[in-house]
Amino acid sequence: MLELLPRTGLEGVARPGHHGRIGGVPGVAISSRRNFELAIVMVRAGKQADLLVRSLERFGLSLPTIPRREFRGPLSFAWAGPGKWLAMLESACGTGFESGLREGFAGFASVTNQSDGRNIIRVRGAKARDALAKGVPLDLDPRSFRVGDTALTVVANINVHFWQIDESPTYEFAVFRSFAAAFHEWLLEASIEFGVMTGTDQAITHSN
Amino acid sequence: MSGAAQSNRLAGGLIDRSSPVCGRFDGREIRGFAGDTLASTLLANGIRLVGRSFKYHRPRGILTAGPEEPNALVELRSGARREPNTRATTIEMYDGLEAASQNRWPSLRFDLLSVNALVASALGAGFYYKTFMWPAAFWERVYEPLIRRAAGLGRVAEMADPDDYEQAFAFCDVLIIGGGPTGLAAAQAAGRAGVRVILCDQDFAFGGRLLSDAREIAGAPGEVWVQSIVDELRENPDVHLMRRTCVFGVYDGGTYGAVERVADHLTEPPPHQPRQRLWRIVAKRAVVAAGAIERPLVFSGNDRPGVMMASAIRSYVNRFAVRPGTRVALFTNNDGGWQTASLLNARGIEIAAVIDSRAEVSATLRSSCPAAHIVTGGQVISTSGSPQLRAINVRTRDGTETIEVDTLGISGGWNPDVSLTCHHNGRPRWSDQIAAFVPDASPPGLVPAGSGNGQMLLRDCLAEGYNAGCRVVNDVGLAAKRIIPPEVDDETFTIASLWHIPTGKAFVDFQNDVTAADIALAEREGFRSVEHLKRYTTLGMATDQGKLSNVNGLAMMAALTGRTIPGTGTTSYRPPCTPVAIGAIAGHHRGRRFRPVRLTPSHQWAEEHGAVFVESGPWLRAQSFPLPGERDVLKTVAREVRTVRSSVGFCDVSTLGKIELQGPDAAAFLDYLYINTFSNLAIGRVRHGVMLREDGFVLDDGTCARLAEDRYFITTSTANAGRVYQHMQFCHQVLRPDLDVQFVPVTDQWAQYSVAGPRSRDTLAKIVDVPFGIANSDFPHMGAADVTVCGGIAARLYRLSYSGELAYEIGVPARFGHALASRLIEVGASYGIAPYGTEALGVMRIEKGHVAGPEIDGRTTAADLGFAKMMSTKKDFIGKIMAGRPALTAPDRPKLTGLRPCDTRDRLYAGAPLLPKGAPHAVENDQGVVTSVTFSPSLNHWVGIGLLNNGPQRIGETMQMVDLLRDAVVDVEVCSPVFVDQKGERPLA
Repeated sequence: MLELLPRTGLEGVARPGHHGRIGGVPGVAISSRRNFELAIVMVRAGKQADLLVRSLERFGLSLPTIPRREFRGPLSFAWAGPGKWLAMLESACGTGFESGLREGFAGFASVTNQSDGRNIIRVRGAKARDALAKGVPLDLDPRSFRVGDTALTVVANINVHFWQIDESPTYEFAVFRSFAAAFHEWLLEASIEFGVMTGTDQAITHSN
Repeated sequence: MSGAAQSNRLAGGLIDRSSPVCGRFDGREIRGFAGDTLASTLLANGIRLVGRSFKYHRPRGILTAGPEEPNALVELRSGARREPNTRATTIEMYDGLEAASQNRWPSLRFDLLSVNALVASALGAGFYYKTFMWPAAFWERVYEPLIRRAAGLGRVAEMADPDDYEQAFAFCDVLIIGGGPTGLAAAQAAGRAGVRVILCDQDFAFGGRLLSDAREIAGAPGEVWVQSIVDELRENPDVHLMRRTCVFGVYDGGTYGAVERVADHLTEPPPHQPRQRLWRIVAKRAVVAAGAIERPLVFSGNDRPGVMMASAIRSYVNRFAVRPGTRVALFTNNDGGWQTASLLNARGIEIAAVIDSRAEVSATLRSSCPAAHIVTGGQVISTSGSPQLRAINVRTRDGTETIEVDTLGISGGWNPDVSLTCHHNGRPRWSDQIAAFVPDASPPGLVPAGSGNGQMLLRDCLAEGYNAGCRVVNDVGLAAKRIIPPEVDDETFTIASLWHIPTGKAFVDFQNDVTAADIALAEREGFRSVEHLKRYTTLGMATDQGKLSNVNGLAMMAALTGRTIPGTGTTSYRPPCTPVAIGAIAGHHRGRRFRPVRLTPSHQWAEEHGAVFVESGPWLRAQSFPLPGERDVLKTVAREVRTVRSSVGFCDVSTLGKIELQGPDAAAFLDYLYINTFSNLAIGRVRHGVMLREDGFVLDDGTCARLAEDRYFITTSTANAGRVYQHMQFCHQVLRPDLDVQFVPVTDQWAQYSVAGPRSRDTLAKIVDVPFGIANSDFPHMGAADVTVCGGIAARLYRLSYSGELAYEIGVPARFGHALASRLIEVGASYGIAPYGTEALGVMRIEKGHVAGPEIDGRTTAADLGFAKMMSTKKDFIGKIMAGRPALTAPDRPKLTGLRPCDTRDRLYAGAPLLPKGAPHAVENDQGVVTSVTFSPSLNHWVGIGLLNNGPQRIGETMQMVDLLRDAVVDVEVCSPVFVDQKGERPLA
């Protein structure tokens, strides 16, 4: 039997290619990430101190207690509210991520798989901040939001969890899968005056 | 007069003569230049009559040169882009501009409704309240259409707006509102200190009054200084300049609302640009340098076209190089009006007279127009000319004289624009010195400065602007460098207030046609509070929000009631201080994008298979899957139902809320949430559960599966998913923080399909991987298991039935949802599998008597819905005590029952009341309601469920369903709500 082909919530929604302003380098590049696993880590009652120690021991990575995202190799922990973290593993076949975390944090945290619950949409480019300002109600100026910072907020009436990857600048938005198409529609409209390149993460990375 | 000739165009001005533009007003060609407004272009082309007034349809001309304009309101553009009530004084002239005058029929010069002016005595204040009272039967049919036809200004476009609007957020240390001399000085001070600055001005050019008044700064014309500051700010990467941007409101936490007119100065927005952009600006500090608005004088005939604010005359002459008239008189009570005399004198425009109401004026002022006829201690008492001004009548110390003029400039002093400073429920303070209100306590972080703060001299405005700039820089924690204000030319400002010259029809509020007599009438009839005065006379209720009229009106009320002006007080100031298009407020969220749409994992698959979609909360769900040629939705649904009942069908149920719970106390928490017990649920089993609200009524029902000792998976209805999660958070965080339980929504994680029908097991057996045993003995009804499907994909299988057939729900990671739908079609093809939508789902749930939204309506208890036996008596749970209240346990409460028509040809209607057979159709005979109905393809007639008083005890009784709305009275038999497989054997097969 043929195996089932995976799809993101954006498949067939975002036509890959250039949109909007013609000519020049697109001001914004939007890509839908693949090959990652996600899980929510929730601290058990009274176990935060133990959990932080365990995280360093087992994963060599601390769980941030302020809105930051820490990473080590392919693994990252993004603060997701008090006592909650979004754990992410960059991996082509990440089955077992949830159970690995559950085992590693046993007794100290509950872990729930969210690999399919969110789509991760990457926004990059010289005009990324200007486009995002049309919906992100936070100050993205580098003086106030830096690489590694993360926030949970509402963009175009959609709950998002996002963080900054680099100073190009590149941001990643974790969006509930069922809202991914609506988020993408807003993002494309917000970006289109600057010229937009859309595609898979790989295609975008190679084009820049 | 030839429009094309621009007969009134002067030399000079701040217009770009290298960019001529051409437009049309009421079909007539008008020519101007880039940098003109529509108003300046009309005047340049000799057009002075631009509209008819709101109530009396009096001819009106251009009164001002700014956003406070009450008269020159026009319809801009045409077709879908037609926009009524735009102010000609703020519309930038562009090539191809089309505008039309408003409120006139059949033409601007000859208007039939101007007969209103002849019966004006009947149309005074409170006219509507007094006239359109009785008989009440006339309110809807006679009065309202009459009022609607006569009232209102302009026509809205009747097509959808073709343009886009958007919203944006901006952040800064210092927001400067107003780019006149004060704002520019503040911006320079802040910009040099290295803070993040946003400077907004509603005009398309920075400079404020410096563009209009012929002033000198540092020995050069004011506009040169303006340009030097703007150049400096533009060089600074931390300063963001926003022209055409009006800050309209001050909100909490240093948030300011602003609207940017991105493309209003173009025929249509350029590609990918919005027409307007609504900004939310968050600023640590703000300087409001909103300027001041010149106040009209109130005398008979002060609304005649040709009467214009003295400062507006300066704007037209100096900024736009337009002569507003050929022979001008000025009427003032303050030094400011003389600036116009000085400018006209310098430009060689004939000044017929300067009338100053003050007994004495200084020699300096007199010398500014040595040749003019100067009347001190005089007043203009009336005007004449139709439709335009031809002469004024002046009362002098010696009597009266008539002076022939075509233009009269008036100045009653200046009102600082205090509105933004009052947006946190503030009230301004009265200043006798300038006879105007000035800001008092401002919202936190907002510093008023300049003429908006009562400074009437340019020198003081600049000094205060620099000071304010330095102050806010210090406030945000940086050191500001002091800037020494440049020298400016001399000026003076004194004023002797003059509120009303009691003669004939004198207008206070031009836009709403409120006269001095209306204010006197309001006083006589007891409407003396300013808030009553406003509502009774409509003073200040027009789109200009009383920018010109309020202070005059309340000063007159003060005089009439013998109170002081501050004692009389002002009305409340609320945002927005200027009209803001609803489109700008909606931004991206129009039409289908009103709120974000949620799509299921199989959405595109369903699209490809011809699904018709239905909105279900934020979700789009497949309603049905009509086959080619299937036109009748009932036929499609009946086919889908029969397919399920006879073989197998599947339905995407991913929209149901899904929440995973973990932790040592997960079981205890669920026992607390649900009326039934889950701590005794075996691992690998699933159970139906009901939650109550705290008041004892049913909140939602769903299922709960136990995945491990400390791990559960619950589902909620689609509609209540968010609410149940909130409820759980409340219960955990507030009511039971002692419980060690963690939970998180996983609705989006799983693509979940209901696979239902006698062949559902056979179908699933083809995709569930071995060695999992799906046989009835291995995996019985209400089982739950972790399985793999299609060669190793992790999945969860639940044996649950909503349809009443043998059925399963299969959940796979959402990424495989689309592919799984395709696979189900393949593996079920030999059984004739078909996808089914929410409509068939609904039919089958009514056939099985399952309750849903129409029954769980917030007024029903668990017992009402047939869940009495589920309510545990051995444990506490939310809503338990309140559900025991006598009224909630009364035996005659309406309870769930089935209903079938006695004559199977009859149709049932949801929402219809149930009455005893033969009882008169009266409320006192109402004994219940039909909640859900469907045509049952299984029984081949309509069936329904409803809530009937003591229903379960009345099976077999005949009632009448009385639907007076749809004119249907049908005899129905009370029966069991379960119409199909009453013994419930099929799911166990």
